[in-house]
Amino acid sequence: MSPSEQAVAAGELPLSQDEAEHAAGAILDIAGADGVEVVVAASRSGVTRFANSQIIQNTVRSELRAYVRIAVGQKLASATTNQLDAAHMQKAANQALEAARASREDPDFPGLPEAREFGSAPALMRYDALTAVATPAQRADAVAAILRATEGASAAGVFETSSHAYALLSSTGMRCYDAFTRGVMTCLADNGDATGWGEDSSHALADVDYEEGARRALDKAQEGRGAIDMDPGTYRVVLEPPAVAMLIDYLSYAGFGAKQVLEGESFLEALAGQQVADPAVTIADDVAYPGSVGIGFDFEGVPRRRVAVIDKGVATGPVSDTRTARKLGGATTGHFSGSDEFGPYAGNVVLEAGDRSDEELLGSVDDGLLVTRFHYVNVLDRPETLLTGMTRDGTFRIRKGERAEPVHNFRFTQSVLKALASVEGIGRDLRAFAPEFGSFGSTVAPSLAVGEFRFTSRTSH
Amino acid sequence: MDDLLNEALDAATASGASYADARGVDIDAESLTVKGPRVEALDRSSSVGFGVRVVVDGAWGFAASPRLDRDEASRVALTAVEVARASATANTNLVELVPEPAHRATWSTPVDIDPFEVPTEKKVALLASAAEEMEKVPGVRFGRGSMDLLKQRTWFVSSEGSDIDQTIVHSGTGIDAVAVSEGDLQQRSFPGSFRGHFEAGGYEIVEGLELVENSQRTAEEAVALLQAPECPSTSTTLVLDGHQVMLQVHESVGHPTELDRILGMEAAFAGTSFVGIGDLGHLRYGSELVNITSDATVEGGLGTYAYDDEGVAAQRVNLVTDGILTGFQTSRETAAAIGADRSNGTMRAEGWENFALIRMPNINLLPGEGSFEDLLADVDEGIYMATNKSWSIDDKRKNFQFGCEIAWEIKNGRIGRMLKNPRYTGITPVFWGSCDQVAGPEEWKVWGTPNCGKGQPGQTMRVGHGTSPARFRNVSTGFAQ
Repeated sequence: MSPSEQAVAAGELPLSQDEAEHAAGAILDIAGADGVEVVVAASRSGVTRFANSQIIQNTVRSELRAYVRIAVGQKLASATTNQLDAAHMQKAANQALEAARASREDPDFPGLPEAREFGSAPALMRYDALTAVATPAQRADAVAAILRATEGASAAGVFETSSHAYALLSSTGMRCYDAFTRGVMTCLADNGDATGWGEDSSHALADVDYEEGARRALDKAQEGRGAIDMDPGTYRVVLEPPAVAMLIDYLSYAGFGAKQVLEGESFLEALAGQQVADPAVTIADDVAYPGSVGIGFDFEGVPRRRVAVIDKGVATGPVSDTRTARKLGGATTGHFSGSDEFGPYAGNVVLEAGDRSDEELLGSVDDGLLVTRFHYVNVLDRPETLLTGMTRDGTFRIRKGERAEPVHNFRFTQSVLKALASVEGIGRDLRAFAPEFGSFGSTVAPSLAVGEFRFTSRTSH
Repeated sequence: MDDLLNEALDAATASGASYADARGVDIDAESLTVKGPRVEALDRSSSVGFGVRVVVDGAWGFAASPRLDRDEASRVALTAVEVARASATANTNLVELVPEPAHRATWSTPVDIDPFEVPTEKKVALLASAAEEMEKVPGVRFGRGSMDLLKQRTWFVSSEGSDIDQTIVHSGTGIDAVAVSEGDLQQRSFPGSFRGHFEAGGYEIVEGLELVENSQRTAEEAVALLQAPECPSTSTTLVLDGHQVMLQVHESVGHPTELDRILGMEAAFAGTSFVGIGDLGHLRYGSELVNITSDATVEGGLGTYAYDDEGVAAQRVNLVTDGILTGFQTSRETAAAIGADRSNGTMRAEGWENFALIRMPNINLLPGEGSFEDLLADVDEGIYMATNKSWSIDDKRKNFQFGCEIAWEIKNGRIGRMLKNPRYTGITPVFWGSCDQVAGPEEWKVWGTPNCGKGQPGQTMRVGHGTSPARFRNVSTGFAQ
């Protein structure tokens, strides 16, 4: 038995409910605290990175964090440790207790959620045992297959398998546990003249078609040879799912949270109830959506509800937690991020499917651009949902409804809401994406045909 | 920790590792955020663990764990060996490392006041005073103060005989005011955006920043921005403050000169570089006034240390000299790949759980001559932009668009009316080629960026940048089209 197999045999889940209860049990009744909440997060991951068609970094790691939140009256503070023994848990609890005492009364703190009000969140268990036990050899074999599929080009990307478990316990009776796994492949193929991109992810490794992802990357690179310059300007575009996923991720980041509404940062403050997108557009946070990967409760133990933030084109509600829901006069939607500073967060965004095939979307554009994905997107203006970023790894002219010559990359500067208001077609095939940073959440997106998309400069080459 | 790490080294080498290092890390951090009178976040965190990096059959393997016992040390080392053997099955090129002497040393950041010994009440009171002062200014939606303190001890041992014990202390704090009106949101920060200013050192850094004294002006500027006209889209002379020059150096010099990017190792995620190996000594990166170093030895930087995370001694290297590309940031592996005889010591990892990567230490634009007023004096018409707000750059680090919190017109050598939403775009070597003055040593300051992202799994690194305000000609502002 190899060392990694031995580790798996010692306990397949990165954290059991019993382990979390035992760790939290040491501090839930700590003297001097009026409320104690413990979130334990654990993961095991293997990430095999390749570049120049070689494995360049290959890592296996176990991680563990216990987040302890303590209330003393209306004062609140937290402490974190990565050791679950009683001594470290008590040290963290004492640090949080001392900090809470040194803090100030917070009239907006609604108290820790009570089990009698919120019950127990059902576990989604998007957990696949075969993914959890994937070995370094399996990942290396998959990379070898990716390299074979991209022969003739230089390939770079990752092949990653991971398992994650979360538990929440509180002195107010909350008890939650959930776990998920994830397999992710990305591949950039570079033929010296052009690059192409393919990626796939699922909670079950068997559903990750890494060879198809690699072939897609190679095909895009081959078709991208001989790119020409085009003038920046406003074009009709077809955005492929990776590009759409990045736009709606940043839209969520820019304004889906109730704290952003309360602070005037979100478009929802001024536009709630108004038509902000084409009526065919519905964007929801829905952790239970097929293909989405996550856990069924938020970081105060409240079940995560589906929230249509844009429903048939109408701006509806933000996602909230107990603190912001009370200020807005409603019920929490179960989206506490774990940080009152950051506020509630929609981490499992889904843009619902339309009825068009990819060919039909292309066919609907007489003259425009096809975008594979974006790079280094950033928010320029939150209320306006104005973003900037570059196209990358496959940008093509569309002529008479067909993909035509490749073009050099552009910088876009575009309000996402304005782009969604000019949607002319939505693809029927949805793709799931792992988060670009971190391991929590996922995004599900189709292709989109958009009537107006503004490109403001092009890169030199 | 030393015993545990040596146990791991022994297990790795006994199992066939031709090279092994083990790194233990113990981190304590404190983070506070105060919004008006209310404490929004008050968090203490600790994390301890170790990672083992090996070369077996010419390939890398790495494993890490938070469990601190000798059995786990052996198990993790053997897992790293297993991972490396798996890597070797897919590889044809063998890992080679340039030599580095074995170092046995202890080093610590100089600290006057241990930030973890300062009472929490005092920290909260400072931030709340500044935040409440900002909220007194009519039109301010809220004022906020933040503070972040870090102490990290790192033990490093290698199969080549190095045994290093380093403790790094960083302190940072800042304030910001937000004003909102009719769908417009404006923000001003002091001394810098994104949680303020960070340096290596203790609580004396916090006490020296005069947050309360600068709170009213900061808030008034946020409110005034709501009424200010938009920064125009034009081609003009641009003067940047030191904070924005920091971001400009970071994105358009720091990242493109990382040798792992140049060699394609980050191609799929962060991207590559417009710089090639053959450009060394030839590429005109900027005007003759542009001199840029990679310097892990400068006092006070977030990238200041004695040894990097593969045990290479800290160095100062000229990346750009009189406008010509003269150096890269390297590791032992990448230095070998280009035939260099030594790494210049820029490998760092976030925490114990990550594989070290080439990370900027302190990438510094060396000071030129003259005061800030001298920069303005030679401008008939231009724009002065201050405090970074947004950034975006392409995968080769060439086409960029950066935004600042605030700008002012420059007319006949003097600051004029305020402008909002200032942004500028450019192409890296063209932009640096247009630099016609860098302010002098009296304006030079080492800034800290605590949030530089790179790698998969993603790692956040703390890096420094010494900069002065600088002037650039014929720059596109607004949304160039």
